[in-house]
Amino acid sequence: MDVLGNYKSVISARSTDKDITKKSQDGGIITTLFAYALEEGIIDGAIVAGPGDEPWKPEPVVATTKAELLAAAGTRYTISPNLNLIKEATRSYGLDRVGIVGTPCQMQAVRKAQLYPIGMRDVDDKIALALGIFCMENLSYQALEAIVEDHCNQKMESVKKMDIGKGKFTVYTERGAVSQMPLKLLSKYVQPGCNVCLDYVANLADISSGSVGSPDGWSTVFVRSMKGNAVWDGAIAADLFETKPMDQVKPGLDLVTKLATEKITKNQKNVDARKTFGLKADGTAKGLRNPYETP
Amino acid sequence: MSKVVEISPTTRHEGHSKLVMQVNDDGIVERGDWLSITPVRGIEKLAIGKTMEQVPKIASRVCGICPIAHTLAGVEAMEASIGCEIPEDAKLLRYILQCANRTHSHALHNILSLPDMHIPGTDVKINPFTKEEPVRSAALRIQRLREIAQTIGEIVGGEAIHPSNPRVGGCYKNITPRAKAKIYDLAKEGRLLAQEHMEFMISVFRDFQTRGTTEVGGVEVEIPDDLGYHRQGYMATAPMYGSSSLDANPTWFPERFTEVRPWDWYMGEVEISEADPNYPIGGTTPVGNKAWPQMEACTGVPLYDGQPIEVGPRARLVQFKNYDEKGAMGLQIARQMEFPDTMYGILDAVDALNTSGPVVADKIPQGDGSLGWAANEAPRGTDVHLARVKDGRVQYYSLLVPTTWNFPTCSRALTGAPWRLAEVIMRAYDPCVSCATHMLVIDEDKRLVAQKLIQ
Ligand SMILES: Cc1cc2nc3c(=O)[nH]c(=O)nc-3n(C[C@H](O)[C@H](O)[C@H](O)COP(=O)(O)OP(=O)(O)OC[C@H]3O[C@@H](n4cnc5c(N)ncnc54)[C@H](O)[C@@H]3O)c2cc1C
Ligand code: SF4
Repeated sequence: MDVLGNYKSVISARSTDKDITKKSQDGGIITTLFAYALEEGIIDGAIVAGPGDEPWKPEPVVATTKAELLAAAGTRYTISPNLNLIKEATRSYGLDRVGIVGTPCQMQAVRKAQLYPIGMRDVDDKIALALGIFCMENLSYQALEAIVEDHCNQKMESVKKMDIGKGKFTVYTERGAVSQMPLKLLSKYVQPGCNVCLDYVANLADISSGSVGSPDGWSTVFVRSMKGNAVWDGAIAADLFETKPMDQVKPGLDLVTKLATEKITKNQKNVDARKTFGLKADGTAKGLRNPYETP
Repeated sequence: MSKVVEISPTTRHEGHSKLVMQVNDDGIVERGDWLSITPVRGIEKLAIGKTMEQVPKIASRVCGICPIAHTLAGVEAMEASIGCEIPEDAKLLRYILQCANRTHSHALHNILSLPDMHIPGTDVKINPFTKEEPVRSAALRIQRLREIAQTIGEIVGGEAIHPSNPRVGGCYKNITPRAKAKIYDLAKEGRLLAQEHMEFMISVFRDFQTRGTTEVGGVEVEIPDDLGYHRQGYMATAPMYGSSSLDANPTWFPERFTEVRPWDWYMGEVEISEADPNYPIGGTTPVGNKAWPQMEACTGVPLYDGQPIEVGPRARLVQFKNYDEKGAMGLQIARQMEFPDTMYGILDAVDALNTSGPVVADKIPQGDGSLGWAANEAPRGTDVHLARVKDGRVQYYSLLVPTTWNFPTCSRALTGAPWRLAEVIMRAYDPCVSCATHMLVIDEDKRLVAQKLIQ
């Protein structure tokens, strides 16, 4: 199975912009690419997960400046419905070239809206750059609060960064404390909808980026589409990234492949199990819906 | 001896209607009935009990060419009933939306009218789909004008067809400075196109006015000088936008409105006794069939001061600019003359718009059942919605839409015309038959509803 999707190249990279890497989750790939695309007129705005009204609760925004992009940098491990703005960006915001970042499922939504625009008039041709972030699973805001405040015993307000990696959910506070929760406790908090998700590395994005596979502070980047390729080449030519060939970094692509395979295998089982979830009166199986099959 | 001829369905307009005409031996209409045969959808009845937010969104779906009119008249009728004043910038957004929709609608109507017309100075009828000049560049201009208008409508209205932004109390969203700049750019381009296009269209209609004859289905038909003349009056509430019962000086008067049933106004049962199988395309109704306009008409007959009246572009120009050209071509020309003002209207309004101003009223009353009305000058004329709202729910809702006003007037305007040109007259009204088809407002005892309204 092609668990990493189609791509032209995979690179380990990090932004050369210190303002960005101070705030970004990993190598600052997403924020740097959007800032570059804005400056070059490739996009005239980007839908990102901006700050919300509660700590660590994102609110989708249309960013049209680098400052707004910086305010939205970093990962919030909870749902940010970025697609909410996809149509509005082309309406009251008046954008002609829309950038959007999102998890694999959000990239799927973007592509589906482009090919099957149901109630999505004039959206398809205005998607100018779709950047994906890797995603193993997501959490509701209440779940995130329970993890941070109960399991890790930290106040949401004090947290500077959250990170998932090396089998742990890690919380860093502004005053220097570090708390962790083992990832095996995470499963009961996962959004149930994530259990049927068969995409780990944002296969449908123009460019996707994640932390797995590269050293701390670096990102693993898949350049996938023609458009993504052109943007990436431009950003490299403008010296916006330090790069290393993927086969020269540790833990490297093997780990990405391994985790992707695990996610997809586990979730494919969940998808299959839905078929025989229930019982009819005559004893035969009665299933739950499978969105990957035509009913 | 008069004969009866029927064109059913009529074409190149919105919706489903037919023409039943008594004609003399020369094929000249003595009495014509133009009537809607679109199934009644009953928006006004199903609105009762629904929320004031929902009903204008349903009313929008009356028609997809002028959903702006029904959305705005609907929302503003609710606002009039509950007594809600909306912020200035919300008004400006609605105004821009209104202008944009008028451009789009008029340009669309050009496509419907052009096939009746000739390339000026020739006998060649215009086929809007031809690649030949000068038609191709006119068609491209029409499409670009529509694209500009729909894009502007989409920005301020949220959606070009069934605008999502207007709400009771104003609008959901203001636009960004970038969107404002985009509207400027589009309207500046549109202004030049609109001017050029108006001149082209007027030359086409003027050419028809000066022609002696035109060919319809292989028959050379004489064009009378007074094609489509009528002696009915006009009704318009504003050159561009409209009026409502919240205004200090409203320009529409519910007490002057009455409505009669089709039964009282249309012809009784008749048998078709004249037919032309070559009438394009598919022929007229064959001889021997029956028609019964009284029973078949799906609209009421609204009267203003006891008479059918004309609404639409000419009515607006007559009322506000002393326009005086009569007949079907006079109406077509008036419509073209509205093009430039739509783009100027957008430029002025977007200039005045403060993109950081509030667009929703601070307080939105829930209503005590008072009657409110709002008239919107839809592309096709005055569209009046009347509503009573109590505790946020609609108790009463009624639509008096432009084409409903024009049905009886246009029917009168058929008299004296060769029946083969009846559709040319009808198309001059830019009919929107879906809009026109609604429940009767009159009650069982034929009591005038307007009297009930103002009680
Ligand atoms: C729920 C979730 C699970 C993840 N799981 C993994 C994983 O298993 N393995 C892995 O390698 N990487 C995972 N990531 C991705 C990783 O955390 C980083 O987002 C990614 O490496 C990009 O970092 P960056 O420094 O390039 O981006 P930055 O420059 O920091 O930009 C990140 C962008 O993502 C946007 N964003 C933040 N939170 C969300 C959100 N919840 N929904 C949508 N957009 C958001 C931000 O607005 C910002 O524009 C996950 C991310 C999320 C949101
Ligand atoms: S696991 Fe899949 S469904 Fe869940 S948030 Fe991530 S990409 Fe979306």
